[in-house]
Amino acid sequence: MATATSESNVLQAQPRTPGTKNDARRVRRSGKIPAVLYGAGKDSLPVILDPRQVTRILHSQSGHNTIFDLALEGGERTKAMIVDWQHEPMKGMLLHIDLKRIAMDQKLTVAVPVVLTGVAAGVKQQGGILEQMLREVEVECLPADIPSVIEADVSELVFGKVLRVSDLPRSEKVRFVTEEDQPVAHITVVKEEAAATPEAAAVEGAAAPSEPEVIKKGKQEVEGEAAAPEKGAEKKEKK
Amino acid sequence: MLMPKKVKYRKQQRGRMTGKAWRGSELAFGDFGLKVQEPGWITDRQIEASRVAMTRFIKRGGKIWIRLFPDKPVTKKPAETRMGKGKGAPDHWVAVVRPGKILFEMEGVSAQEAAEAMRLASHKLPLRTSFVQRPGAH
Repeated sequence: MATATSESNVLQAQPRTPGTKNDARRVRRSGKIPAVLYGAGKDSLPVILDPRQVTRILHSQSGHNTIFDLALEGGERTKAMIVDWQHEPMKGMLLHIDLKRIAMDQKLTVAVPVVLTGVAAGVKQQGGILEQMLREVEVECLPADIPSVIEADVSELVFGKVLRVSDLPRSEKVRFVTEEDQPVAHITVVKEEAAATPEAAAVEGAAAPSEPEVIKKGKQEVEGEAAAPEKGAEKKEKK
Repeated sequence: MLMPKKVKYRKQQRGRMTGKAWRGSELAFGDFGLKVQEPGWITDRQIEASRVAMTRFIKRGGKIWIRLFPDKPVTKKPAETRMGKGKGAPDHWVAVVRPGKILFEMEGVSAQEAAEAMRLASHKLPLRTSFVQRPGAH
């Protein structure tokens, strides 16, 4: 199993002064991206990164779990990893990166992608659809032991059977944090839609209400009305 | 046709569609999706027409997720009515979408089939869209 530290990467970073979002925009306009480095009990440090280097790390085999050397201009050189990243929804440009300092002798919790291998029997023989419900599992391990992916063989998966986190291959160095009974994949079936006939459409149209129910405010008023006579009754009793 | 079961108010104002879809802009369920490129309203009929176009093309081959819901009522005045006399009656329902929103997702089909199904679906919509897929999906 390939681990996340198998590649040796160096990410160049420049320190920056924390400022407003206008400052962050100026950084982006210059072709760089703002980032922040934190963790390991030290103060957080705002930095500037090259988006191409970050993209290369995110698209590598080990993805966001890659551990690399962060070389700060004129000083600190530390092991770090990407813990969060934000990108623009249309073009996918990176906007901001969260980096975490990594102590190589301390365990950490990371999300590792689950890759399904093989052709499921439920797809091949029963004509079902393989649906992957969980694409990443959280694991706890030492930084050197982070698996790049967790491969799960689904070739024996049939209708009615569910592949769960407990069925995933495990090693002694890695502990699963995600709940054991959480489903990872199963075989599902989709009913073919019959062509709509005019009669069926008419029936459907008649059955469907034209307007939804409006939630009335009167619920509290009804309670108030119900409570009011009781008070009156109490007064009468006192008299 | 999709519409809410219960609403707090029968009629709404039109609203603005500034900005991008910062939420619901990534694939969450399937391997393939249809991403909208411009802001606009998508009616309940258009959503249904897209869904039918996709399901008829992929037949029993794949699973479809609809990631938008028409929860905004649009009112209309009757034909040949003079202006005034209050707001019209609710006519249909729309989903407000901003650029970047994933409209539909699909799984269990090949990339070519998904792209073709999404192309057919996009022809039922009033907005520009693009086909997106998860890295490594084929």
